[in-house]
Amino acid sequence: MELEVKREKLLLRAGTQKFEWHIEPRYWRMPAIWIGLLIVLPIFIYIVYPQLLPTIIDANLLAAIAIPLGWMTIGTGRMNFGPQFYIGAGGYAAALASIHLGWGPAPTLLVALVAGLFFGLLMSPLSIIAGGLYYTLLTLLFPLVFLEVTFIYTDIFKGDVGLFGVLPLISVGNFTLNQFLICMLALFIMLIYLLIVDKLLRSKFAPQMSAINDDEEVAEAMGVNVKKVKIISFTIPAVMMAVLGWFYAHYYGTFAGITYLPLSFMLKILMVSMIGGRVQIYGNVIGGYFIAFLELVLIMLLGDYSPVVFPIILLILLLTLPEGLFGLYRKRRYREYLPTLHVRR
Amino acid sequence: MLTTIETTLIYTVLLGSLYLLVSLGFSLICGVLRIFHLGYAYLFVATIYLTWFFYHTLSLPLAVAIILMVILQALISIAIYYGIIARYLKQEEIIITGLLLIALIADQVANRFYPIQAAVYLPTTIMPGSIAVGSTNIAIQLIIAAALGIIVTALFVLFFLKTKTGLAVRAISYDLNTSKIMGIRVEQIYMFVMVLTILPVIIAMLMIAPVWAVDPTMGWGYMYTAILVSVMGGLGNIRGTIIASYIIGFVHAFASFVVAEPRLMNLAALIVVVVMLIIRPQGIAKTESLW
Repeated sequence: MELEVKREKLLLRAGTQKFEWHIEPRYWRMPAIWIGLLIVLPIFIYIVYPQLLPTIIDANLLAAIAIPLGWMTIGTGRMNFGPQFYIGAGGYAAALASIHLGWGPAPTLLVALVAGLFFGLLMSPLSIIAGGLYYTLLTLLFPLVFLEVTFIYTDIFKGDVGLFGVLPLISVGNFTLNQFLICMLALFIMLIYLLIVDKLLRSKFAPQMSAINDDEEVAEAMGVNVKKVKIISFTIPAVMMAVLGWFYAHYYGTFAGITYLPLSFMLKILMVSMIGGRVQIYGNVIGGYFIAFLELVLIMLLGDYSPVVFPIILLILLLTLPEGLFGLYRKRRYREYLPTLHVRR
Repeated sequence: MLTTIETTLIYTVLLGSLYLLVSLGFSLICGVLRIFHLGYAYLFVATIYLTWFFYHTLSLPLAVAIILMVILQALISIAIYYGIIARYLKQEEIIITGLLLIALIADQVANRFYPIQAAVYLPTTIMPGSIAVGSTNIAIQLIIAAALGIIVTALFVLFFLKTKTGLAVRAISYDLNTSKIMGIRVEQIYMFVMVLTILPVIIAMLMIAPVWAVDPTMGWGYMYTAILVSVMGGLGNIRGTIIASYIIGFVHAFASFVVAEPRLMNLAALIVVVVMLIIRPQGIAKTESLW
């Protein structure tokens, strides 16, 4: 039996018989293969090493946050540096409803959706009013102010201790099976988000968003309803992120703003986008898994030093991978969707 | 009531002058480099913890520790400029993310070696004690810090208005391409501004370190104030920055003494800035020039 790599083909010779498998990147980019792998991975881990399930959950959630953020970035033509605000809104809304009203995950999901919609609509005019850099600055500040509010009204938000006693997301009695089911749910949400944004980027809506991304004035002159596209591209991703806040609250049974609202959490999401593939939606999945596993490996290897080494590695990767990890697979340069911040005139 | 008004006004001046020091560098970088320096938070942490490292860990005299800290900070600024800003000038998302990561690294390194339990304290008090202004007692150190804030800002303004280098900086802030055609060495000026901007922060931190609490995450709070002031003033405009510093100072003083709820300071300031942005989207100084 002989195995060789020849002209982007994997050749397997077994006696007189020959088997070949194309390994060109376009085949590797087939969504079905990757989705299949993503589904098989938790099953495999559940059987072999279930202690890794929380990392897979974390990876899926990070990717699921970064995907709507990518949509928001493309559709508004601006970089939102405060996506965790909506996670906080959804998480706190769900946690408060669960604790004070005794509601389970299903009704609190509705509460989180309403909270996401409310804050999304409330904040969405910013994408029209504020210019590129001002928008970035303000979105950066909102979660920090929200965090302060949670410290001011400790009777409601319980400060840095957070809200305890949120009803569990899934409860089947067996802890490992519970983790597995939660993992599959996180994967399901992430894949649904991926599907929604993927379909969106292939729809009639996509050229309008990319036109806004390139030049708002030209887009308007071409007949694009800039305000409508921006409001939609801001509000729906905000709702999608609020759902993830709901997930966090019920998954951990607690929700504290100090975990999700500081810049460090935002930076993690930003790095998922940037290192994964610069707001490229499939890159977000790679980025989510990469960041979650890198963090785990560093904690295992370096212990107390991992919080120091983690950002250093991210910085090196940011500077050495101009198109992110997903860019490594690309043959041609893709359509650049990442908006510029228009800092200079 | 009169006492409250008096205290509010006094603290408006004190806080406003301190915020000038805190935000002047940020505003300058925005104005000249046209870069949103999200790594600005590291300057605050580096000032305190590098000085502490030289002074406490290496047991050097305080003056020597401060000098070494300034030199090291200047070198770090140059390294950041060449390593990130100059290389990715056209890819702002990389610059912003990279600078944010640098601030996070500084934060984490400080936290690893000198956590809050380490009780870092810099004995940089120039004059101890407090003084009664009307019916309000104020630490003399704070008054000196505020005075320094005004003096440093005045020196900066004079430098930009009266010197050749200042003229070059202003020219770049007006029009980068024309400045290049006119023979201004843009690279050198950029680097010079990067180093210059660390000075107000260093002065501010050394002055307030003995009076206010320091911890490894304090940089984000100060950057938060710098962002509010710069956005309100109009990014990069020193005149706007001066006015905005005192407005934010007033809002903070108002929240602390009139409303008597200091925890509302930042929330109140953000609301004021958002309202200001709705009325004047480009901030107080509706110009992109430095002055």
